[in-house]
Amino acid sequence: MKVEGTDDGAVAAAGVGPTGVSPFVSKVLAPGDIVLDLNSTNKVLRVGSGLRQDGDSILATKAGKLRFQKQSNKYWVEGSQKRYIPNVEDTVVGIMVDRRSEMFILDIGGPAFGSLPILAFEGATRRNIPNLQIGAAVYARVVNAHRDSDPELSCTDAAGKSAGFGPLKGGFIFDCSTGLARGLLSKPTPPVLEVLGKSLSFEIAVGLNGRVWVNAPKVATIITVSNAIQNAEFLSPTQQHIMVKKLLEDSQ
Amino acid sequence: MATSNGEDGSVEVQLGQTRVLAVVKGEITQPYPDRGNEGSLAIFTEFSPMGDPAFEPGRPSEMAVELGRIIDRGLRESRAVDTESLCILSGRSVWSIRVDIHILDNYGNLVDAANLAALAALLSYRRPECTVGGDDGQQIIVHPPEVREPVGLIIHHLPIAVTFAFFGDGNFQVLDPNLKEEEVMGGRITITINSQGEICAVQKGGGVGVSASEVMRCLRIAAAKAQSMTETLKKAVEIHEIERAQRKIRRHPNLQNQIDTASSVPNPIKKIEVEMEETSEDIEPKQALDTERGIKDLSMSDSSRMKSTETEVAETLTEKPSRAGGRDLFAGGESAWGDDVKLTPLKGSPGTRSTLFPLDSDALVEFDVAARAVLRGGVSSQRMSSKLVSEPLQRQISDQIAAAAVYANQTSPLISEDARPLGPIFPRVGDMDSTEESDAALETKSVSQPEGTPVNFYFSGKKKPKKRGGSGRQD
Repeated sequence: MKVEGTDDGAVAAAGVGPTGVSPFVSKVLAPGDIVLDLNSTNKVLRVGSGLRQDGDSILATKAGKLRFQKQSNKYWVEGSQKRYIPNVEDTVVGIMVDRRSEMFILDIGGPAFGSLPILAFEGATRRNIPNLQIGAAVYARVVNAHRDSDPELSCTDAAGKSAGFGPLKGGFIFDCSTGLARGLLSKPTPPVLEVLGKSLSFEIAVGLNGRVWVNAPKVATIITVSNAIQNAEFLSPTQQHIMVKKLLEDSQ
Repeated sequence: MATSNGEDGSVEVQLGQTRVLAVVKGEITQPYPDRGNEGSLAIFTEFSPMGDPAFEPGRPSEMAVELGRIIDRGLRESRAVDTESLCILSGRSVWSIRVDIHILDNYGNLVDAANLAALAALLSYRRPECTVGGDDGQQIIVHPPEVREPVGLIIHHLPIAVTFAFFGDGNFQVLDPNLKEEEVMGGRITITINSQGEICAVQKGGGVGVSASEVMRCLRIAAAKAQSMTETLKKAVEIHEIERAQRKIRRHPNLQNQIDTASSVPNPIKKIEVEMEETSEDIEPKQALDTERGIKDLSMSDSSRMKSTETEVAETLTEKPSRAGGRDLFAGGESAWGDDVKLTPLKGSPGTRSTLFPLDSDALVEFDVAARAVLRGGVSSQRMSSKLVSEPLQRQISDQIAAAAVYANQTSPLISEDARPLGPIFPRVGDMDSTEESDAALETKSVSQPEGTPVNFYFSGKKKPKKRGGSGRQD
């Protein structure tokens, strides 16, 4: 059983129970709960955010629900927080705070600022550097997020295409919990966005760091959309429908 | 909006998404030399990074110091908290009250929230009562809360802080700014004012200039806001007071079980004693009303001594039932009174002062439900059928009374001496026949029993007289 580190994306041999899947999937865990024992089958697992390997067992370090993805054999803990802890492959909305010679420094709401290399844009060359000002909003992807170092970002996807990343012009950014942000990005589309989309025209960019960017031709639309999204956090789908309808009526 | 943490003097206020915790503590110290007969009040703020990523640990930032100063000025210079009553020995010992304000979550307008939290904490804080005694009259005796009820601070009025944010040229005001508004505002003004319209403090630091008429407009709005906020604050404190009083009702454990089976609420209440000064404003069974008044009169005069003896007796008393367990509550042996003793007039004893002890089982059940509803902050969804609990309840209570009565009459003469002024509630053995009139005064129908059965229990209304056995007494 080979074990290599405990950082995100690390690979750990594991196995538990007859099916090899932890019995706690979709259950709520508290920090310190043991999720798996690494003693049985020699399956290879990915240990995601909120989990840590401690000797022969995998422990939860965050409070939240345990999730498991069969395709990549990955476990992670999903909780909702006000503060954001960077994880690899998260898409985040950052705000530029500084410019260095080789990189832009973005505030992504985590414990440390993220660094975005100036060449990490589609079609960027030394002569063709993107022109970002301090205070600009950027939609980026977390490439590297070690516990002990500053997170690294990129405005391209793995293949080098822009895929929607890059600077966000205009609009309005508000904060929300990480749980709500995850909910907004989940499939199927949450009812609040569906119902809003049917009557209003707007665009949003949701960052898993608990930031949502909204843009629309009219300011009233932006405000309606922001309020609707913030209200929808703890509502069931039906309640979301009703809430959005009411909000649209009131604003007309 | 505001929640109390259950402990006296610790309050968390939630103003929108802003959360602030205030904790009040008291300590006996030496007074300032030039203010020998005044206690002191000090405000401390703590802006931990938990509340906002912008807060740094270590030295308080300018904003933190300003917040502390605004609250301090509002309370101290308006003399809201009476400091002279905090003096114990002039020039030697005074109470020093300390308010710690912790910012838990910053979503704007920390000043208003922190001020409310500090006020609520000061209103709910109880300090131990202390008396001066000893041989030379210079010794300070601090009484523990079990012996003497802790006493609250004297607060003359409630200075409420109201904050406005200015935008544009100062002609556009926003009340209670949130985090985003604070970040882009042009200036701010905080007005500390009480519900009588007396201005306690004004703080306008920097930012855009504001005309005098705008400031007057803000003052008028602040006065109206302070009135409504004072009402809200007082209501929240009152609810806390009721809950605190409810918590003091101590029930017999078996009684508790009966009630619990019907309405599953865990409550660590042990004793069946009721404090004299318990406020019965919310629940007032009519039967008990007259007795309450009688008892309250007594408690004014000699409450502390009564209470201490009362609690002593109650404590030793309830030990017996809990040890015996079950329905066999009386573990003291046979009654010493014999056959010709009427226990009818025994309506109470140290263990069962009937101030809040509804003599009707329906009322008792309702009382319990209501009390628990208040404790839980909600309403009980199930109304217990009184039939379910009345029988065993009656038995429990009657056994309790019997046990208490016998025990009381066997113990120190001190108790019966003091108990005599209480009249019908706590008669001495010799007075028993003369208490028939008091029955009427209490508005209860006594369930008359044939001679020889140990204890009667009083239920007004439709309850049939019950025969009991198993209480250990013979006829």
